[in-house]
Amino acid sequence: MNKKWLATMLATAVLSGCSTVPQGSIPVIDAGSPLSSGGSGPSTSPAPAATPQRIEEDSGVVVMVPQGAVSTPLQTDSQPITSSGGLTFDPPVSSQPSAPSQGSFGSSAPSVPSGIPSSGGLAADEQLDGPVLALLTTAQQQQGGGDLNGAASSLERAQRIAPREPQVLYRLAEVRMAQGDAAQAEQLARRGLTQASGRPALQASLWDLIARAREGQGDPAGAAQARERARVNL
Amino acid sequence: MRPWLAWGLKLGLVGLVILAGFAVYLDAVVQEKFSGKRWTVPAKVYARPLELFVGQKLAKDDFLRELDALGYRRESTVNGPGAVSVAGNNIELNSRGFQFYEGAEPARKVRVRFSGDYVAGLTQADGSNLAVARLEPMLIGGLYPAHQEDRILIKLDQVPAYLIDALVAVEDRDYFEHFGVSPKGIARALWINASSGRLVQGGSTLTQQLVKNFYLTNERTLLRKGTEAMMAVLLELHYDKREILEAYMNEVFLGQDGQRAVHGFGLASQYFFSQPVSELKLEQVALLVGMVKGPTYFNPRRNPERALARRNLVIDLLAEQGSITPEEAATAKEKPLGVTSRGSMADSSFPAFLDLVKRQLREDYREQDLTEEGLRIFTSFDPILQLKAEEALAETLKRLAGRKGVDEVQAGMVVTNPETGEIQALIGSRQPRFAGFNRALDAVRPIGSLIKPAIYLSALERPSQYTLTSWLEDEPFSIKGQDGQVWTPQNYDRKAHGTIYLYQGLAQSYNLSTAKLGLEIGVPNVLKTLERLGVERKWPAYPSMLLGAGALTPMEVAGMYQTLANGGFNTPLRGIRSVLTADGEPLGRYPFKIQQRFDPGAIYLVQNAMQRTMREGTGRSVYSQLPSSLNLAGKTGTSNDSRDSWFAGFSQDLLSVVWLGRDDNGPTPLTGATGALQVWTGFMRKADPLPLDMPMPDNVTQAWVDRQTGLGSASGCPNAVQMPYIRGSEPAPGSACGIQAPVESVMDWVKGWLE
Repeated sequence: MNKKWLATMLATAVLSGCSTVPQGSIPVIDAGSPLSSGGSGPSTSPAPAATPQRIEEDSGVVVMVPQGAVSTPLQTDSQPITSSGGLTFDPPVSSQPSAPSQGSFGSSAPSVPSGIPSSGGLAADEQLDGPVLALLTTAQQQQGGGDLNGAASSLERAQRIAPREPQVLYRLAEVRMAQGDAAQAEQLARRGLTQASGRPALQASLWDLIARAREGQGDPAGAAQARERARVNL
Repeated sequence: MRPWLAWGLKLGLVGLVILAGFAVYLDAVVQEKFSGKRWTVPAKVYARPLELFVGQKLAKDDFLRELDALGYRRESTVNGPGAVSVAGNNIELNSRGFQFYEGAEPARKVRVRFSGDYVAGLTQADGSNLAVARLEPMLIGGLYPAHQEDRILIKLDQVPAYLIDALVAVEDRDYFEHFGVSPKGIARALWINASSGRLVQGGSTLTQQLVKNFYLTNERTLLRKGTEAMMAVLLELHYDKREILEAYMNEVFLGQDGQRAVHGFGLASQYFFSQPVSELKLEQVALLVGMVKGPTYFNPRRNPERALARRNLVIDLLAEQGSITPEEAATAKEKPLGVTSRGSMADSSFPAFLDLVKRQLREDYREQDLTEEGLRIFTSFDPILQLKAEEALAETLKRLAGRKGVDEVQAGMVVTNPETGEIQALIGSRQPRFAGFNRALDAVRPIGSLIKPAIYLSALERPSQYTLTSWLEDEPFSIKGQDGQVWTPQNYDRKAHGTIYLYQGLAQSYNLSTAKLGLEIGVPNVLKTLERLGVERKWPAYPSMLLGAGALTPMEVAGMYQTLANGGFNTPLRGIRSVLTADGEPLGRYPFKIQQRFDPGAIYLVQNAMQRTMREGTGRSVYSQLPSSLNLAGKTGTSNDSRDSWFAGFSQDLLSVVWLGRDDNGPTPLTGATGALQVWTGFMRKADPLPLDMPMPDNVTQAWVDRQTGLGSASGCPNAVQMPYIRGSEPAPGSACGIQAPVESVMDWVKGWLE
C-alpha cells in the first residue's frame, strides 16, 4: 500500500520534472516587411496592423507632375541596378569637427556641383556635418554590414533630427530599395525631391533612384521618364 | 517489548522511504523552477529618448525637467552615471547608456551648453566635440498580466556593495555559512527580539524566504515550514550562494502600486527613487532593505516616520558590523528619505498614450509575449510635449470654468510631428491621469468646418477653374438632396457676405460660399479627396457632408491634417518605433512610410489659405498670444448648437488636434474658436514650435495682384499684394499702377488686410 503511494509520488516527481513549460517563441516582425501593407514579409509576420490610415498602393491617385511636360519615353538606358555600396561622404567624419556649424545641417547652402555624380553617389555639393553626417555614416556602416533594418532605423533617427534634409530621405530610399521595397523607395525619393530645390546633383540622384524603383515595379515607361529627368537635372 | 520495537523500526523505515521519496519530489520541483526561466516580466514601454546635438531647439528648463524625471542626481561635480551638475547655461552629466534598436548608446560624460532655447555646445569629457548623443528613455508603463507582478531583473554584480551587506546583516546574518536553514539564526533572532522588545530579526534564512515566495503558498502550518526547510537545503545543494542571493533580490516583494505588485530591488529602486539600483546610495539601500520586513508597514510614501526609523536602524546595524564607519552612518542618517513623489512623470501616468500603444501591440503580438517576455517597446511619446498639452488644457478649462456647461465639457487631444507622422502626445480626458474612455481614439464626433480644407483642396487641384482669388458668391440658397430633404445652409453669423475671394471662404469659414463651391465640384469628389487625405470612413454623398456632418475621432482628424501639413504626402500615424527582446535583440520595427496623394502645388495653396485663417480669419486670436513671426496654418470647427468645438492646425514641426465637447452630446457654450483653439494656442505657446515654411513647389509662382480687383498688378504698386498661383493660372501681369476702382463687395476683405 505504502509502496503504491511511493510509486505514485515518484512518478509525479518524474513527470513534474519533465513538464517544463515551453516558453512561447515570439514571432519576429521583420522591419522590412511593412506592417501596414504589402505581403512580401515572412510567413511569421503578424496580421497587417490596422493603423489609422493604410497606405494603399496607387489607389488611383493621379499626382500632377510639376510643370515639366511629359517627356518622350526613352528606352535606351537599361543600366543594371547597382547596389549603392559606394556612397561616400566628403570629407570623412573624423577630419571634420562640427564646431562652427550651429544648426547648419537643415539649410546647407547649395553650391555648384564639382562633377557628374557617379551612379548612386552624390556630388561634393552634398556635404553635411554634425549629427546628420554622424548618423548617415552609422547607417552606411550598418548597411555595409548587411543590417538594413538598423540602417533604416538610424536614418529615421536622422530624419527626426533634420526632417527637411533631402539627403536623409535619399539614403532611406536607397535602403528601402536594398530591402526590396521599390514602391516605398520611389515615394521617399519623391518626398526628397520636394525638398531638394536648388540642388541639381541631388535631384539627379533622386530621379535616378526613382527610375530604378520604377523598373523594380515593372514600369519601364515611368523609369525612362525618370531617367530623362535625371539627365535634365544634371 | 520486542514486537513494539520491530513495529517501530518498520514504521521508521517506511517513514524514511516516504521522506526520501518526498525529498526526491521536492528536489525535482526545486530544480525545475530554478533552472528554467524564473520569472515572467511584463513588456516595458519607453518614451522617446531625448536627443542632444548642437543646434537642437531645447529649452534648458525642459532639459532639466527631463533629467529630474529620469532620476538624475544634482551634484556639484559629476560622479558616475545618473549624475548632473548645473552651472548657469552649462550642464554636465553622466548618461547611463542604453540598448536601442539601432545599437548601444554608451554611458558617458557629456557637457551641454545652452544659448537661449538652443543647444549651443555638446562636448565629451575630454573636451572634444560630440556630434550627437541621447539620454536613456523614460519608462512610461508596462503591459501587465492578470496577476500583475512586475519587476526589473538585476544581476548581482550590478548592485551596490552595501546592498548585500545590509540584506545579510538584517535578514540572515549567517547566510554565507549556513546550509539553507540556520538553527543559530533562529536562536539569535529569538534572543535579540526578546531582549530589544522589538521585531528586529526574523528566524528564517534568506534561502527559506526565497523558497517560501518562490514555491509555496502563504499558509502557516508546521508541515509547510518543514517543506520549506527541506527545499531550502535542497536549493543550497544545487546552487551557490550568490545565485540564490541574486534570485532573492529579484523575487522579494517590496510594495504595491495600485494593481501592480513591485517585486525585486531593480523595480523598487525605480519605483521609489526613479534610479537604477546600481546608483543607489547607502541610505537608499538601507531604506529598501529595511522594507523587506513589511513593505506596507514601512512604506516610505505612506508612513515616512516609520520608514525613516527603520532605515536608520539598518544603517546602525551596518555600522555595528563594521561594514561602514560610524561617521558614514551618521552622515547617512542625516539624509532625508529622498523618495520621489508619484505621478509627476512616473509609470502609468499617461493612460491615453499607453492605451494607444497597447492596442497596436495586441494586433501584432500575442498577449502572453507582451506580459511575460520582458519586451522593450520604444515609442515616440514626448513627455515634455505631453505635460505642456496637459497644462494648456487645464489652464484653458480653468479660464472657461465660469461659463455655463463648461464643467461637463470633456476633451481629446492629439499631438504629432507632421514631418514624420509620429504621435508625440495624447489626451483622452479632461483629467489626463484618469484611465477610462479614450476620447482621442474613440470619440467619434461631427467635424464641422474641419472638412472645409478638403473642399478647397479639391477646387485648387483644378487650377484652370479655381485659384485663391477666384470669385465666390456667399449668398443663401436651398437644394434638394439625394435623400429628398431640402437643404438650406446658413452662415454662423446668419449673414450673407456677397462676392468674396475663394480663399476668404476658407479663412472666414463661410458656409454658404463653401457649400456652393462643394456642390460645383461635386460631393462625391470632395469625399474622394477626403479619402486621399487619409479618412477611411465611408460617408453618404449628402450635401450636408460639405459642412461637416460626418463624424471622426481626433486621431482620424490628425491623420487627415497630417497629409495637408506634410506637402500632400500621407503617412500612417505611428506611436511605436521599435521593439527589442529582453536581452536587447531587435524584434520588430514600425517603419516610416509615405505615399504622395496630392500635387504639392495644390497643397501649397491650401496651406496658404489656412495661414490666412490664422492671420485674418477665424483663427486670428492666436496672434494675441503668439508672435507674428510664427507662421501657422489651421482650421476651426464647430458642429450644430456648439456640441463640438474643434481646432486642427500645424506649424512646421508640430501638428495638434483639439476636441472639446460633452459625452452626452449636449450643447456647450464653446465654438471652435472660443474653446478648442484656446487650448491649441496655449499648447503652441508652451511648445514654441518652428514656423511653417513649406518650400515653394516648382509649379507655383508668386504673382502681384491688386488686392481690390484681383487683377494682375506689379510690385511697388500701392494696392499690390503677392499671391501664389499654380503656374499658368495667375492673372495677366499689370504693367503699371493704373486707376484704382474700388469695389464695394470686397470692402470686408480690404479691412481684413489693413488689420
